[in-house]
Amino acid sequence: MGRSPFAADLIAVGLFAAVVLTMPVWIVWIGGYEALATKIVIWAVFALGFDILLGFTGYLSFGHAAFFGTAAYTTGLCLKHLSADILPAFFITGGVSLVVAFVIGLLTLRRSGIYFSILTLAFAEMLHAAALSILQAYTGGDNGLTMHTKPELLGIRMEGLNVFYLAAIVAILGFFAARQIKRSPFGLMLRAIKENAMRLEYTGVNVWAYKMAAYMISAMYASLAGFLMVVLEPYVATKFLHWSTSGEVVIMSVIGGVNTLIGPMIGAAFMLYFENVIQAFIGEQWRLVLGLVFVLIVIFLPGGFVDGFNRIRRAVGLGGRERHHNVPDAPAPVRENRGDRAARQPGE
Amino acid sequence: MPGKLIIPAATRRRILKTGTALGGLALAPLGFVRGAWAEEGPLGTFPVKGDTVKFGFCVPQTGAYADEGADELRAYQLAVKHLNEGGGVLETLKPSKLTGQGVLGKKVDYVTGDTQTNPDAARTAAQRMIERDGVIMFSGGSSSAVAIAQQYLAQEKSVVFMCALTHSNDTTGKDRRRYGFRHFFNAYMSGVALGPILAEDYGKDRRAYHLTADYTWGHTQYDSMKQATEKQGWTTVNNIMTPLGSTDYSQFLTAVLNSDADVLVLNHYGKDMVNSLTQASQFGMRDIDKNGKKMQIVVPLYSELMAKGAGDNIEGVLGTANFNEKLDDAGSQAFIKTFTDEYGFPPSQAAHTAYVQTLLYANACETAGTFYPPEVIKALEGFECEGIGPGKALYRAEDHQNFHDILVVKGKAPSERKDQYDLLEIVKHVPRAEIEYPADTFPGELGPYKPA
Amino acid sequence: MSGSLVNALTLQVITGLQLGAIYALIALGLTLIFGTLGVVNFAHGALYILASYAAVLVAGHTNFVLAVVLVPVFLFLVGIVMERGLIRFFYDRPHTDQILVTFGLAIVIQEALKWAFGANNIPFPLPPWGNGVVFLHEYLPFLEGFVVFPKWRLILVGVSLLVVVGLFLLLQFTTFGLTVRAGMREPDMMRFLGVDVTKRFAVVFGLGALIAGVAGVFGGPITQVSPEVGMAILVPSFLVVVIGGMGSLPGALVAALILGLALSFSAEYAAVQQIVVYLIAVVVLLVRPRGLMGKKGVFE
Repeated sequence: MGRSPFAADLIAVGLFAAVVLTMPVWIVWIGGYEALATKIVIWAVFALGFDILLGFTGYLSFGHAAFFGTAAYTTGLCLKHLSADILPAFFITGGVSLVVAFVIGLLTLRRSGIYFSILTLAFAEMLHAAALSILQAYTGGDNGLTMHTKPELLGIRMEGLNVFYLAAIVAILGFFAARQIKRSPFGLMLRAIKENAMRLEYTGVNVWAYKMAAYMISAMYASLAGFLMVVLEPYVATKFLHWSTSGEVVIMSVIGGVNTLIGPMIGAAFMLYFENVIQAFIGEQWRLVLGLVFVLIVIFLPGGFVDGFNRIRRAVGLGGRERHHNVPDAPAPVRENRGDRAARQPGE
Repeated sequence: MPGKLIIPAATRRRILKTGTALGGLALAPLGFVRGAWAEEGPLGTFPVKGDTVKFGFCVPQTGAYADEGADELRAYQLAVKHLNEGGGVLETLKPSKLTGQGVLGKKVDYVTGDTQTNPDAARTAAQRMIERDGVIMFSGGSSSAVAIAQQYLAQEKSVVFMCALTHSNDTTGKDRRRYGFRHFFNAYMSGVALGPILAEDYGKDRRAYHLTADYTWGHTQYDSMKQATEKQGWTTVNNIMTPLGSTDYSQFLTAVLNSDADVLVLNHYGKDMVNSLTQASQFGMRDIDKNGKKMQIVVPLYSELMAKGAGDNIEGVLGTANFNEKLDDAGSQAFIKTFTDEYGFPPSQAAHTAYVQTLLYANACETAGTFYPPEVIKALEGFECEGIGPGKALYRAEDHQNFHDILVVKGKAPSERKDQYDLLEIVKHVPRAEIEYPADTFPGELGPYKPA
Repeated sequence: MSGSLVNALTLQVITGLQLGAIYALIALGLTLIFGTLGVVNFAHGALYILASYAAVLVAGHTNFVLAVVLVPVFLFLVGIVMERGLIRFFYDRPHTDQILVTFGLAIVIQEALKWAFGANNIPFPLPPWGNGVVFLHEYLPFLEGFVVFPKWRLILVGVSLLVVVGLFLLLQFTTFGLTVRAGMREPDMMRFLGVDVTKRFAVVFGLGALIAGVAGVFGGPITQVSPEVGMAILVPSFLVVVIGGMGSLPGALVAALILGLALSFSAEYAAVQQIVVYLIAVVVLLVRPRGLMGKKGVFE
């Protein structure tokens, strides 16, 4: 390849930024609206972080709602009781999320495979059950956490486009960081762990510390998304802690293409667009259609949408990689993502 | 360069928000257009441009309450039809300024959305209606969590929300909002209405065991039932807060059976209620004697769909309802008749409240002479009318709760039913005066008419 | 609470037993399919509710006994069709792919049921012979006074026992069972020996579905018949499978019993009930890496 990896990164992130920052304009052309654009970007941050865990290490978490939801509740409580400014909420949420991620990671990463998945699910469901029952005096229980607060940042009201651009900047920086991580020695080590953790262990590598770091980074992305969600709408739903939220981010990642970074974000955009725009055309049975689409993608497009693009590229003779499964828990082909390909978005 | 693209886009959208310039607005492809010349100034989705006005109907289309949502949607469509073409309750509502030719000279149109019985999804759907479709009012929902979440959104966006099914005291109590209105009755009224009947039917010396869904609606329902029954001399043996959405209640029912209680009160709604009632009946609680009396089950809040789901188990079980398809006053009849003619079966109470809410909002616009939300809200506050159900109905200004007669109903035995919709019989009309309570019983703040 | 401690204890144990019974039935099918085919079937809850719908239709039009016979057979066929039409293409793909495709299928079945029958539940009345309560104090002399329990719940426990014994006999004393057990232990070796494991195991998938069918017929009147029940029952059932150890039949039974008893004994403290259930899962998995009776190297 002619370009240096860093230049490729810059091009990829630049294209990504162009697509994201103009979203409030082009999403209207395809029947969307501003608040949807903001939600897409927030979920994209969540899905991107999820890919850092699932794509890089192969660990499938069924409990990422724990971080998304805990961050949302922490932010909500700070905004409600402490200050309408989002900065104190940001730092407190960051601190709380770090502690929660560390504790859950410490306990769950002792296991792998399905046992890891179920452990993460169990922790998230415990938090969900607690929010609904014993903590409902603080969380508002099933009604959710309501407040009259209007969030602001250093005196600027955080609403509408302001929140969108805040989320967009987070997403762009997050994407840039994720690409750097993927290419760094740390990222290479994670990939090596995925391929053969045992061998690395024997060579004296502290495998656990690497996994833990990836887990914490991933959890922090989820927490950022939870934080942004409450900045966008000063309301916290218990659903944010429910396993269906964890399931949703898994589905987004899979239909977009795991281990591609851009794929899960495309998946997030597709899901939200389907749920809120296409849904209105289908009517009551939209979820049946969504279920069918999902099944078809898993069967025929094992690498998700990104794989679909690659297939089209191959078909027209431009090269591209082939995928055989949705979640590469087998060794993945080691090849750098080309930047121009990475920044493609549906509806572009 | 991407950077160049951003700034004009951002500025354009910000102009849209503040609504000070109109130049570029004609370019905005999908609604969301405001006019700066109206005397009241732009607010939320006001002013309404063009010769149609849009309402948003946000009902559950997926999830456990989808059937209730479908019935609400039928009622909304009927309400739109009547607003545009006349008929139905338009002929009985007094005082009314509705013409049957749209609202304020504009034809009524509507868009729909899916709440998924999930507050977060409901808010996203409502935002679509507000931002993209420019609805002047939205309505719907079939759970208090969704209604409360929507009310807060309504206040943030300055778009009126007319609640449909929500029975929690919080909706017009702790979480009351200036932009939210509820016609449906609440948990407190259920308790007050039910207490005397229970004492009359089952005696004053009863021992009650409560199973309560563990969320705010359940808690308020339990509190009001406890208060109302203890006032009649009953003893409360115990209460268990059951997890929301349990599929199996046997572990709790075992405790009930093993206690010395002779009445079981199920503070459950929807699927929870169908499950717990059916299983209680499988535990023989409707056939055994306790303390020398026949054991009884009470369900404070009934709905037609729940009665249908619980099948034969509802026989003889007392509860309360906001509406019943056997009401014979002129307003109810006008609604029941047109609904049945249109769809071939009688409406549920969810349909009734959805229909009435749409009409009351439209009438308030006509009364105010404008769609400007603060004026419409003022027209609704303190509005008293008749012809939408039995007796007179009042929208209390202080908490936006509507007060009207409610019903105590009883499940019918299979042998007494005329058809598959004939499930509940009206035991008593509880007049409005009996269920009224001071507005500060559940303290809350409505918030401002206009955002600061 | 009145009555003696013995009464309360007995009732709670019985309640725990019957709570565990339905999870056990679903978990048995799940773990059987996993143990033999290596497939994680997230559509198992959907098969359960499909069986309940079939049962309520058959029982409504004819009688319950016919449903007991027909529905499991119907589910067996559904299982075969599912395996031949979809699952077999996923044997070579990672477990996560199997989870995803069966999860998608579960959504499709749930939404199709909602489309056909509505979101509201359909009442499923008990057959006359299963209605009513049993006076336990007449059978258990150590109980004092008046202790009753619903007959249907006891029938459910009996049915679960029958299924367990039947499955045990089938696996232990038939050639088919021998092949299946060998396949569970050494699938690769069987393939080397020329036994067409996969084809034989299509029947196993049907068998797992059949057990879900039995569970749907007898569990339907309790859990109710509405589209979302499948998903609601899948999560605890899957928890049971994992706590028991993936692919272990006795493990699933023990885990179902533990969860049932935990639910029953924490009933008075319902606020923490859900937390207790997941706490048990966490503790078991942290103390025993592969669940109670899981095999090494499976699904790790």
